[in-house]
Amino acid sequence: MNVLSCSINTLIKEGLYEISGVEVGQHFYWQIGGFQVHAQVLITSWVVIAILLGSAVLAIRNPQTIPTDGQNFFEFVLEFIRDVSKTQIGEEYGPWVPFIGTLFLFIFVSNWSGALLPWKIIQLPQGELAAPTNDINTTVALALLTSAAYFYAGLSKKGLGYFSKYIQPTPILLPINILEDFTKPLSLSFRLFGNILADELVVVVLVSLVPLVVPIPVMFLGLFTSGIQALIFATLAAAYIGESMEGHH
Amino acid sequence: MKNLTDSFVYLGHWPSAGSFGFNTDILATNPINLSVVFGVLVFFGKGVLNDLLDNRKQRILNTIRNSEELREGAIQQLENARARLRKVETEADKFRVNGYSEIEREQLNLINSTYKTLKQLENYKNETILFEQQRTINQVRERVFQQALQGAIGTLNSCLSNELHLRTINENIGMFGTMKEITD
Repeated sequence: MNVLSCSINTLIKEGLYEISGVEVGQHFYWQIGGFQVHAQVLITSWVVIAILLGSAVLAIRNPQTIPTDGQNFFEFVLEFIRDVSKTQIGEEYGPWVPFIGTLFLFIFVSNWSGALLPWKIIQLPQGELAAPTNDINTTVALALLTSAAYFYAGLSKKGLGYFSKYIQPTPILLPINILEDFTKPLSLSFRLFGNILADELVVVVLVSLVPLVVPIPVMFLGLFTSGIQALIFATLAAAYIGESMEGHH
Repeated sequence: MKNLTDSFVYLGHWPSAGSFGFNTDILATNPINLSVVFGVLVFFGKGVLNDLLDNRKQRILNTIRNSEELREGAIQQLENARARLRKVETEADKFRVNGYSEIEREQLNLINSTYKTLKQLENYKNETILFEQQRTINQVRERVFQQALQGAIGTLNSCLSNELHLRTINENIGMFGTMKEITD
């Protein structure tokens, strides 16, 4: 983002070159073992995790029968997640509520923290802080987790009979069913990544063009769509799990 | 693309490359817009959220109150049922005790009446026996009498002859003659 804003500023101030392309900002790398990781994503992920765990721990001390405000809010959120899981998965939704809840809350809080918190105040040597879900690695990780989850659900419920679902309703659809196993995590990850990154880019471009009032509606739109995306991710994950645990027709 | 970016790197201002720090460029870090967005969000969201949460709290309170009332009602009914049970139990006991004494009294009555009837029958029996005895004795007497009379008649018939008659009549005439002399 810095490269982008810097480039546009240079362009406006010096009017020297015509840009015909856009490059997304660089990453801040750390070396862990033999891997290079995107440190800015890790840092923002830690902040999101700290927000989630801290607020939950603070609100759930001394649980009362008639709930206090914080406890009421968290119970409300839990009921919402339970409702989503129950609608999508059906009767055996109990064990999956933590998973779906984690997906939903992590994605929601990371999206909204990226949109609301003033990350740009903190400057890194390279790259910049933003929502952790604007990195394809994060979203792919979440999507692969979902894939593993629905495979585990199907296998643990039906054993090896799970693979009979590839031949239903007709064996002609076998290649399409196998393809589905690849397109599901692909679509999940790219949907989330694309939405979040695109919204960030739009806001950055607008801010660098007209800093003051014009970006505000787009920021609201961003909040709205990122919230929806979190809900969609969680609902789809629950739907895949429910579909693979579905009873015998 | 990379050459283009490289030339930009040389030409443009690279802000504090290679170090941590704080970015104080207000236009770049966007705090004004962020605060506006945040303010509007809090302003509207607070109302909605408080509504939802209050609804939930009210629902919980109502449910608790309802269940408390139901519990009270149930306890009340239990108490009533227990009181009724106790009352019925005492009555049953009373009936049982009364019943036993009734039975005993009836028993005694029955025994007494049977005894009386028995005694009466005994009396009748004795009387009848006496009566029968008397009758037989009378019958026997009568028979004996009859026999005696028959014997007497027989003796008389055998003893009574003309000579006895003549003698008896002569005695009686003589007796009457003397009695007539006496009275004259």
